[in-house]
Amino acid sequence: MTIELRALQALRLKGRATAADIGSVTGASAGEVGPALAELAAAGHCAQAMDRYKLTRPGRDRLGELLAAERATLDQGALADAYRDFEAPNSAFKQLVTDWQLKDGATPNDHADAEYDAKIVHRLGELHEGFRPLVDRLVGLAPRLTPYPGRFGSALARVRAGEHTWLARPMIDSYHTVWFELHEDLIGLAGRSRAAEAAAGRAE
Amino acid sequence: MTRQVLALDGSTGAGRDLLGGKAASIERMRAMGIPVPPAFVLTTAVCRRFDDPADGAGAVPADVWAQLSDAMAELERATGRTFGGGPSALLVSVRSGAAVSMPGMMDTVLNVGMTGAVRDALAVESGDAGFAEDTRRRFAEQFAKVVGQPAPAEEWDQLRLTVAAVFRSWRSARATAYRRDRGIAEDGGTAVTVQAMVFGNLDDRSGTGVLFTRDPLTGAAEPYGEWLPRGQGEDVVSGRADALPLAELAAAQPGVHAELLAAAARLERAGRDVQDIEFTVQGGTLWLLQARAAKRSPEAAVRHAVALHAEGLISQAEALDRVTADQVDALRGPRLDPRAAAAAEVLATGKPACPGIGIGVVATDAEQAEDLIDADADVVLARPSTDPDDVAAMSLARAVVTDLGGSTSHAAVVCREMAVPCVVGCGAGAAARLAGRTVTVDGGTGTVYLGALPVVPGALDDPDLRRLTDWARAEAGVEAGAEAGTGTATGADGPLSALLRARQAAARPGAQPAPIG
Repeated sequence: MTIELRALQALRLKGRATAADIGSVTGASAGEVGPALAELAAAGHCAQAMDRYKLTRPGRDRLGELLAAERATLDQGALADAYRDFEAPNSAFKQLVTDWQLKDGATPNDHADAEYDAKIVHRLGELHEGFRPLVDRLVGLAPRLTPYPGRFGSALARVRAGEHTWLARPMIDSYHTVWFELHEDLIGLAGRSRAAEAAAGRAE
Repeated sequence: MTRQVLALDGSTGAGRDLLGGKAASIERMRAMGIPVPPAFVLTTAVCRRFDDPADGAGAVPADVWAQLSDAMAELERATGRTFGGGPSALLVSVRSGAAVSMPGMMDTVLNVGMTGAVRDALAVESGDAGFAEDTRRRFAEQFAKVVGQPAPAEEWDQLRLTVAAVFRSWRSARATAYRRDRGIAEDGGTAVTVQAMVFGNLDDRSGTGVLFTRDPLTGAAEPYGEWLPRGQGEDVVSGRADALPLAELAAAQPGVHAELLAAAARLERAGRDVQDIEFTVQGGTLWLLQARAAKRSPEAAVRHAVALHAEGLISQAEALDRVTADQVDALRGPRLDPRAAAAAEVLATGKPACPGIGIGVVATDAEQAEDLIDADADVVLARPSTDPDDVAAMSLARAVVTDLGGSTSHAAVVCREMAVPCVVGCGAGAAARLAGRTVTVDGGTGTVYLGALPVVPGALDDPDLRRLTDWARAEAGVEAGAEAGTGTATGADGPLSALLRARQAAARPGAQPAPIG
């Protein structure tokens, strides 16, 4: 599990990321991330603009090679089973986020009704507990996923502390952002493509 | 045995449950003395017998058929035309119609009674062999599609099979799914209306058109309509591009135009709401085919509600019933110029996922989008579906469009969080089709238009909205015109949309006319 693969995948998932973003997604220390990014930039695999890094086309190709090599070392049967088990909680979570944003599927939630919001935060807690064993199983199958339990945990803690933007806001490590990146990782690890998964209604 | 086939002469005394919406509308117009082509209905009670094996399961029961033959004889007498033959032949439409409107879910067949001899007679009568052949072709295609077999040569066989097929369409998979989704009862059944066909394409003094008693887009309190000389039935309804403004009918046939406006005004007063009327002129004679409460844009909903109250047609409470909170919100935010939107080419439609208007050039991947945005372009991001790589570009885009996905999809969730206008589920290939074009996305209606359309700023201080707000406050027990900030911080003195949501939550659903789009 090289820092090169972890950093490239983090750059892909985050779009334009700071070194600190890469650190929190990969679980690597600043001492590891800085030299890794410098090396990727020197190889032409990422480009720097101001304090942000983005993947280049050669970087994307390199990432594809590393992911394929990683996949060859993993238990594909067990990953396929885990991916299938992800489907039910994934649907439940997407519905939860939609309920958080829209009441009755249509009226924007203005978050004036504290009781309504509290019920959804409670649902999120229950979903989190039910989902945790699967995440642990995934980490066991693909060690690169090790940072996910901690990322889910800190997003949930912030939501519970009343920082509600940490439920679904994009561009920060909200529960939804972490969930969505995990889903993307699973699609790749299971050797599937998002286009095919979206067409099958599992990853729209 | 009670009569199950009723002539729609304005005196049946029956309601929508038995007649269905379509026949009830005809019956209402006939009772007012408005010219409607002669018609009769096979009631919803007949539909229930279609499930009964004792009645021949799926065929027209014998006693109903006998009543139907009598009713056809009455249509022949009223029109002076003959079913299946003679120099002037009678053709009929056979239409579904349940008590609760289920638009497009059940079947209709036009021009039933079209035989080879009838085609020849129609060619002589109209002096247009092409028109006669075209009418026969339309019938053959529609019959085969609805009934599932080629049309028989004999006119009574055509009628018998059509009536049975239209009744059976109540049990079609799509109609059943529609009822299940909307909680409509399964045992209501559809009625079947049989009506003499009139021909808008008969001669130069014929045509077909649509009239709204008030403008359904801008809300202006003046009739709005379209007229297609020598047009047939569905041509105008389906939006044929060569339709003319109604003024052309006024110029060509002033008497017919005046009669139409007078009938429309009476229907509006009787219905106490803006009417959407389909009409046909056959050889200088006006026929009204259908009248119903008009669908309308958010702006029109507000304008009509206030105007109808000012004219004494509806109470303040009814005016508030006619406007939804979503319509008020749509009117307060920026929106498309309604005329420009109606005239624009629609490139794609999908599910509205986040409201708002976004205009830009379409990029089909995140990298391309970010490059364009770096060059100061306004960009609409169109993707088959979105993934984490896309989020940064989505946050910078004017709007987001996807091929796949519903209202819980990633694109929908992310756009709502960032208030980026978003349309999802436009169908496979939509993004590729939009690539590189400048488009206008209306996230409130789920529509993608070609070109940059003019946007009307939100109505922040609109006199009609102010009036509605006063009425809603008065109803909620807050003094009209109370200064903002002097009331307590409850919903009672909130903005109009909050007041409307509160009263809608308290009332039974279904009081509002459906909005456009």
